Amino acid sequence: MRVTQSMLSGNMLRNLSTSYAKMGKLQNQIDTGKKVNRPSDDPVVAMKGIGYRTSLDKVEQFQRNIGEVNSWLDTTDDTFDKVGSAMQRANELVIQAASDTNTEADRLKIQSELDQIREHMQNLANTKIGDKHIFSGTKTTTPLYDEETGYPEPELDPMKKSAFEKDVEIEVFDGISLKANTNAVDLFRNIDKMFQDIKDGTVDYDAAIGTIDKQMNDLLTARANVGARLNRVELMDNRLQSQEIIATKQMSENEDIDYEEAITNLITQESIHSAALAIGSRIIQPSLADFLR
Amino acid sequence: MRSTFMGLEASKRGMFTQQSALYTTGHNISNANTLGYSRQRVNMEATLGYPGTGLNAPRTPGHIGTGVQAQSVQRIRDSFVDSQYRQESNKLGYWESRTQAITQLEDVLNEPSDYGLAKTMDEFWKSLQDLSVNPENGGARSVVVQRGIAVADSFNYMHKSITQLQENAGAEVGIALKDVNSILKQIASINEQIKAIEPNGYMPNDLYDARDVLLDELATNFPIEISNHPSGGNALAIAEGSVTVSLRLKDGTTMKLVDGKDFAQLRVNSTSNEGDDVTPTSMVKGFYLVKLDANGAETNVKSDWTPSDANVIDYQKINNFSDLGKLKSVVSSYGYSSDGTDTGTEKGLFTDILSNLDKMAGAFAEEFNKIHMGDTLDPLDPTDTLDPKYPQGTDIYGKAGSEFFSSKNSNPISASNIKVSQAIMDDPGKIVASDSTPDIDPEPGNGKFAQKLANIKFVNLDDLGKVSVQTYFEGLIGQLGVDGQQAQRMQFNSATLQQAVTERRASVSSVSLDEEMTNMIIFQQAYNANARMITVVDETLDKIINGMGRVGL
Repeated sequence: MRVTQSMLSGNMLRNLSTSYAKMGKLQNQIDTGKKVNRPSDDPVVAMKGIGYRTSLDKVEQFQRNIGEVNSWLDTTDDTFDKVGSAMQRANELVIQAASDTNTEADRLKIQSELDQIREHMQNLANTKIGDKHIFSGTKTTTPLYDEETGYPEPELDPMKKSAFEKDVEIEVFDGISLKANTNAVDLFRNIDKMFQDIKDGTVDYDAAIGTIDKQMNDLLTARANVGARLNRVELMDNRLQSQEIIATKQMSENEDIDYEEAITNLITQESIHSAALAIGSRIIQPSLADFLR
Repeated sequence: MRSTFMGLEASKRGMFTQQSALYTTGHNISNANTLGYSRQRVNMEATLGYPGTGLNAPRTPGHIGTGVQAQSVQRIRDSFVDSQYRQESNKLGYWESRTQAITQLEDVLNEPSDYGLAKTMDEFWKSLQDLSVNPENGGARSVVVQRGIAVADSFNYMHKSITQLQENAGAEVGIALKDVNSILKQIASINEQIKAIEPNGYMPNDLYDARDVLLDELATNFPIEISNHPSGGNALAIAEGSVTVSLRLKDGTTMKLVDGKDFAQLRVNSTSNEGDDVTPTSMVKGFYLVKLDANGAETNVKSDWTPSDANVIDYQKINNFSDLGKLKSVVSSYGYSSDGTDTGTEKGLFTDILSNLDKMAGAFAEEFNKIHMGDTLDPLDPTDTLDPKYPQGTDIYGKAGSEFFSSKNSNPISASNIKVSQAIMDDPGKIVASDSTPDIDPEPGNGKFAQKLANIKFVNLDDLGKVSVQTYFEGLIGQLGVDGQQAQRMQFNSATLQQAVTERRASVSSVSLDEEMTNMIIFQQAYNANARMITVVDETLDKIINGMGRVGL
């Protein structure tokens, strides 16, 4: 075959530009840290990349949600603890009042302390996280205990729930929702009624001791429930954390470059490129004209 | 009896012929880097021997040679390689433009990245999740509105950018057609010159080269068929004559474009009053063929140049063109009629992506609105029942919802006109986040409905062929990637093949400086030798004239 200068120089130019293109691609990969920068680089990786980004976003969001559930439950638990100690004190006072050695003045003092405890309970019933009343069911902007009207009346129809008794549910994983609030309206109403009864004298102190025990029991049940849910939140949280690691890893394996490999490839390509330049310049330089006098 | 001075004549002829060969070598070297130049060669031929034949011819022993003459100057070229080259040009032209178009699309869609539509949708989902956790929070509500606006803006932006790309592709169709039309005119003009020169017995090599460059260029636009027609008169047998150029269609039939000095022009519209008739304004249904007369007046013709029917102007439907060449590629990026008529459905790379985006935006917004508003009883239709799939929810005021997304114009919601409805933008409290019954007792802390809204992204929608918005978009990007990859691969393959053919062509036709140098020496030596020959003859003549008949002097 006849070979001419233009063929040699054309070939050299083409090979150099292919080599540049390869280096450019490798350089782009190293600069961005990604194997794929446009869908046509690898359609499957690009498609999966979108999916993995979404799963990662989901995990992040669910972690945020679970943080919220946690703060609800923690606050609830803490409030119940305060309710518990207040009840404890009320119990002591009632027992003290039940003793016949008390004078009328003593009883009045005890009553005024009981009144303070009652008010404290009402404040506890209106506990807020941020601007949310946590014991108000789904009517989080309304306090459970109203100065004017007191606690909401119980719903007579057992099939219907008032908004104060509804659950606040927060999604913590695909299709899994956790109840964040505790329906304590009955509990607080009963406690309040008990204080009212004591004040009105409709029950005597001996009977009140029994009622307090009953309320304490209800409170403990509610608290146990909160504790159980806190455990579950912790489990979910662990699960989400490992999900986050998995999703990040999947995404990284899918689209991130292996730096060692990419840099090695780049260096290989570089040496090929300089070899091509060196050889090319030697081949296209001489012609017969250099040797004719 | 031979002439005394015959040797002088033979060597003079030798000198002249070697000189023309030397000059041709010079021409080759000068044009070593000229695009499309084929090296030329002087075909030398021995002149007729002495004596010639005839009754009165002298009788001499032997038939003595009388020297050399340059019979013709020919370019060295292989027309088979040319046709191969042009076939590869068709493919390269097609895939090159397609790769370019898909690259532009990829740039606009910008996936996978942390800034594309998918990310915007994810952010919207997140904001709805936040709303479900904090439904009473005005901030969370505003964020949902803003993220909703971002989703709508992303759709708007993409639609606008792709429409822009489509318009550019339309302009490109116009430029390609103008290019083609200009090439056709130039080929016809070269044909005319060739036809004027060849009958005089010349070989217009450089005109052939110029014409082949034009044909190469034409072949990047569509597949062509070429046939040669010899000029009359005293033309040499090796003369190439004028070419007839036709466009080859999918079924093998042709459209005549150039015949001798006559040529036709391609149009996308039949002659109209507005526009230049080569830049499409709506989907391309096919190409019209027109001929220009001396005054520039156009007449529509059929593929074989017979006049077109005056009532229904003939055109070649776009679906008769094979998927080869740049012209078809830009047309299929821009948008064309699927059956080559005005009523056909529009197809095309940009058109398809646009309609897919419209479908996705429409289906998403529609489903979102349906859930946001809930199903209500039609007061005019007594048989209407509530759809259990779409229960009503309530906003922060305990009222049922209205549209969340709406259209910027009166058309149904699509990627181009989607926006967050004004009522929601004015009052984010109207976002339906609660699943309580309307008009009873507002439940600001109820976020169950917001969760439902968030999940729309992952719900399979009938309008999208029973896949979710998320999967649909992933599929869209995947398809684009596959198409892009195929286009790049095909471009690379046809470029490689074309390179191989170019190499073969260069091997035959291109100038080798070493070869020309060698030839230069050969011709120079031959020239010198001829000159020496004349000196020798001169010496013999000197002997005759000055040395003879001087016996004893």
